[in-house]
Amino acid sequence: MTFSGPLFVIGTLLATAALLQLLRRWTHLMAWLALGAAAGVSTLIALTPLGQSVSLGPVTVNMGAPLSVWGRLLVIEPVDRLPIMFIGYTAAMLFLVAWRLLPHSNFFPSGLAAVAMLMGAMMVQQVVFAALLIEIAALLTLFPLQEPLVDARGNIYGGKAKGGLQYLVYATLALPGLMITQLLLEQYAIFPGDVGLLESATILLGLSLAILLGAVPFQSWLSSVAMDGSPPVVTFLFTVNVGTVWFLLLAYLQNYRWLSDQAAFGSLFTSLGLLMMVLGGALAASQRRLGRMVGYATLVDNGAMFVALGARQTAGLALTLVILMARPLALGLMTLGLDGLRRLGGGEDQIDDLTGAAWVAPWRTLAFMIGGIAMAGFPLSLGFAARWGLYRLIAETNLFQATIALLGSAGVMMGLVSSARMLLAPVPAQRRFVSVPEDPVVLVLILLLVGGILFLGVFPQLASQVALQTAQGFTFFTQ
Amino acid sequence: MNPFLVWLDQFSNFVSMPAAWGIFLTGAVIYVIDAWRVRFLALLVQYLFIGVLFARIFDTRLEMVIMKVLIGWLISGALLISARIRQQSTQQSGKLLRWATNLPFRALMLTTATVVAWLASQRFALPYVSAELGLACFLLGILAVLFFGTEENDPGVVGVGVLNLLAALEIFYTAQDPGLLIAGLLVVINLLVGLAVSYLTVAEVPA
Repeated sequence: MTFSGPLFVIGTLLATAALLQLLRRWTHLMAWLALGAAAGVSTLIALTPLGQSVSLGPVTVNMGAPLSVWGRLLVIEPVDRLPIMFIGYTAAMLFLVAWRLLPHSNFFPSGLAAVAMLMGAMMVQQVVFAALLIEIAALLTLFPLQEPLVDARGNIYGGKAKGGLQYLVYATLALPGLMITQLLLEQYAIFPGDVGLLESATILLGLSLAILLGAVPFQSWLSSVAMDGSPPVVTFLFTVNVGTVWFLLLAYLQNYRWLSDQAAFGSLFTSLGLLMMVLGGALAASQRRLGRMVGYATLVDNGAMFVALGARQTAGLALTLVILMARPLALGLMTLGLDGLRRLGGGEDQIDDLTGAAWVAPWRTLAFMIGGIAMAGFPLSLGFAARWGLYRLIAETNLFQATIALLGSAGVMMGLVSSARMLLAPVPAQRRFVSVPEDPVVLVLILLLVGGILFLGVFPQLASQVALQTAQGFTFFTQ
Repeated sequence: MNPFLVWLDQFSNFVSMPAAWGIFLTGAVIYVIDAWRVRFLALLVQYLFIGVLFARIFDTRLEMVIMKVLIGWLISGALLISARIRQQSTQQSGKLLRWATNLPFRALMLTTATVVAWLASQRFALPYVSAELGLACFLLGILAVLFFGTEENDPGVVGVGVLNLLAALEIFYTAQDPGLLIAGLLVVINLLVGLAVSYLTVAEVPA
């Protein structure tokens, strides 16, 4: 039996997701199956040449063959391989992290189904279908995002709906712009002289992607989700869901010349990015809740990506990709720490309630801090290499902008330092934390992620070479 | 053409403008009355009106209209059940008719929104849809904004806002591209929104 690549990839993931719903009782099995499916399809795409067929027992997969659904084509193109691998491997890493943190969770089946939708969004040609698939993925992510959790005393906490609701509203608000863009493009194909259609499409597409990426002034969902959501799922949302939107933005810039040719494109991205970095940095520096700090660190990170893209150079595009590739490790580590600290605080992540927590949960505190430092783009981390490259790139043309960007990152660092002061302070006499022995598997995961961040911080060329090669595939800056 | 479909087309043509205002009135009921039994009934009627407008778009495919209405009713039921579970946990009074808080403010907002929607429909006519469908899109969009803006602590009402926005989008988009694939994906999204909102409504209820 021969399958096209898209059908095999999406079908395998959806079938596994359906199976996982039946296996909710067995967390170990569920986690490893989810991990295997996500990593397996990504590896298959990485290793199989698109023009060739590969035999998997009774099944033959032609990876480059298109899938036609009522005349709409889904196809894996060479430029889609990195995004699909990024989605798959990041999801696999997060399933591994969630294995010990989210027993019997809906995250595994829902997350895997969301991965299928997001990979489908990368493969589909028309904007409207990508938009609908992203909306479906966002909706699927809501279920595990607000799942109640258990704290160190065995009490149930979490399940606050506000963050999830905000994300739902913003994701839905982005939908009309993307769908109407499709209509405008279809009309432009009929009336190629009507430039007004393209101008409207540019505004709508830009607005919708800004909402989905949490750009200023649509950033409030980032902090709400980070504050109310289950930490591993928040990481999934900020890396896999948001990462897919970033890759779609790059794909649209590549495919639609009218979009990348907009004269204001470079300065708009730079200004928007700097605004996000400054705002995120200022809010993170004054933040008293650890969850919100994750949200603001992500806002600064997204801002840095916009600034890098606004440089309108292949090097800037490569930096954008390196920042995106560095995020899963940093955020994964940060949320491992946040999860433990929240459990210790009975579901609360207010820094005043966690004074002295570092003496009770040293590994979780270490994870939060190192993850945060990597998100802030400070040494030694892959994020540092990317941010340093960014400062150098923009300092060549505008030293003031480079200083502003550096200050934004420093804001996140200041927030972390003030959190560290409280976490490392002596435990107040009236407070009694319930000390729970650290799960050895979580400890190993923390050490692996710390090791990974430090290793890539020392040898950033491993990631930057891949990013540069991919960036050279995008020709919208050189045409 | 099937005589029934002809009759249905004529009927929906005749009632589509009242249906557009009917959508707004039912939305207004949901906005000013804080009792889920009443909101549930209003939502049922609203989906009936949305169905009437859909009959203008899918004039030869009655099954699409019926599916839209049935799915709307299904979602309404799910929202009612989850709202009741939430209400029981917070021990709110189960009075049949309870005005929402800040009623004068809401009335003012509603009046302003109506005027804005009506003026917008006159000033910025939506392309490729009739005037009444355009008005319905604006009214649904305005209702969605009202629900998002003033009811952020009630997941059920925010969910109705999301569903209203999706309904506006469905009317506008499928009028121009009545493809089954997009209609099907939008149905899936509607169902998932209903499920997600119901889940979020009960997720805050203590076990």
